[in-house]
Amino acid sequence: MAVLEIILVIFLVFSALMAVYFDEELISIIFLSIFSLVLTALYLLHKAADVALAEAVIGAGLNTAIFMSAISQIRHGDSD
Amino acid sequence: MNKLMKKIMISVVLTGVAFALYQNFSLMPEYQGLNEGLSNYIIKSGLNDTGSLNLITAVLYDYRAFDSLGESTVIFGAVSGIVLILSRKMLPVSSKGLSFIVKRALGIMTPFIALFGFYVITHGHLTPGGGFQGGVILAAISIIFSIVYGSAFDYRRYSPQTKTLFETGGALTFLGLGLAGILMEGAFLQNLGFLTAETGTLISAGSIPYINIGVGFKVGAGLAIIFYSMIQKTFEEDF
Amino acid sequence: MFNNLIFIILFMLGFYALIMKTNLIKNVIGLNLMEAAVFFWVIAFSDIGGEVAIHKMGEEVTKFNDPVPQALTLTGIVIGASTAALLLTLIIELNKFSGTIDRDQLEGLND
Repeated sequence: MAVLEIILVIFLVFSALMAVYFDEELISIIFLSIFSLVLTALYLLHKAADVALAEAVIGAGLNTAIFMSAISQIRHGDSD
Repeated sequence: MNKLMKKIMISVVLTGVAFALYQNFSLMPEYQGLNEGLSNYIIKSGLNDTGSLNLITAVLYDYRAFDSLGESTVIFGAVSGIVLILSRKMLPVSSKGLSFIVKRALGIMTPFIALFGFYVITHGHLTPGGGFQGGVILAAISIIFSIVYGSAFDYRRYSPQTKTLFETGGALTFLGLGLAGILMEGAFLQNLGFLTAETGTLISAGSIPYINIGVGFKVGAGLAIIFYSMIQKTFEEDF
Repeated sequence: MFNNLIFIILFMLGFYALIMKTNLIKNVIGLNLMEAAVFFWVIAFSDIGGEVAIHKMGEEVTKFNDPVPQALTLTGIVIGASTAALLLTLIIELNKFSGTIDRDQLEGLND
């Protein structure tokens, strides 16, 4: 159990780091989705089933769709 | 030079905040929530008070139901703001969607997604789940329609007027059950005693399943309206 | 101790993205990371090694995890999603008028 938790935490910090590090928005959003998915597994390990379901549905599903629809409407480089 | 100074200042701020957080945790006592107080009471007598097997649902829709009402109000405010900002022309212009195979496969899958959503909503007091999670699953159906079939299909099937009707109906269900609590039990949003059946059955736990259904429709319709408002200007030429 | 360290790392990553990045969408992502850090810490702090807080029929469970912090976290997750959507809407509208989502170039428009 402890080994699994340590592996998941390493993935969590790694995906958060990548989401902040990359400058392109699409890659950041994909890594944010992965972050939410790993967080879901951690919630389940901490015996919080309702929170895990909410995080899986909202964090990994709905947030990704909303961010995608936002960056698809943004025009870059018009003011250069 | 100016930029370098800015970076140095920001690094100092970041280090300071991290150090303050670290010091803060050394002052924190051990977790004592379960030995005394509110959590102990809820765990001991939550099943007898509400009849709900799932104690988290009991907290959300019985003990702290006023909190959930405030949360629904926040979602309503967000939906109102987004629709107010983004609604200039309600043109259902869209692309043709994805290929034939994806459309057919999704047509087979969609009833099962809806069934799972309704299962999560209605069994909120027996298994993990509840109104919020199931409502978001129902909103995901609308999102999938917008992506795969194009937003014109979503507009024809579930127009924004229908979604508004669902959202208002859900909110009115919640408020009506609260007022019924005043009339019958003496306090706002108190659990209705005469609805309680045998523990563990589908229609048990007083008014909790009905509040779940109302919140599920409200959250699902609200988030679907948010996504629809954000996507519908994508293929529009001028505004 | 372990969870406190994870909380500090995630929270500072989100804070860094919020004040150092000039891209507005990256700022929203930083805000989401800070939220997730707080929720993770609350759940991990209230985990005392019990079962999921759901009764089973015909079975007496003696030790549960605390249901109150989980309910509060559930409330916070839904509100976080709707505030993120509102922020992104404002960014879209800003982009329509100014043509950029860079904070520094927005400041240049004023003077």
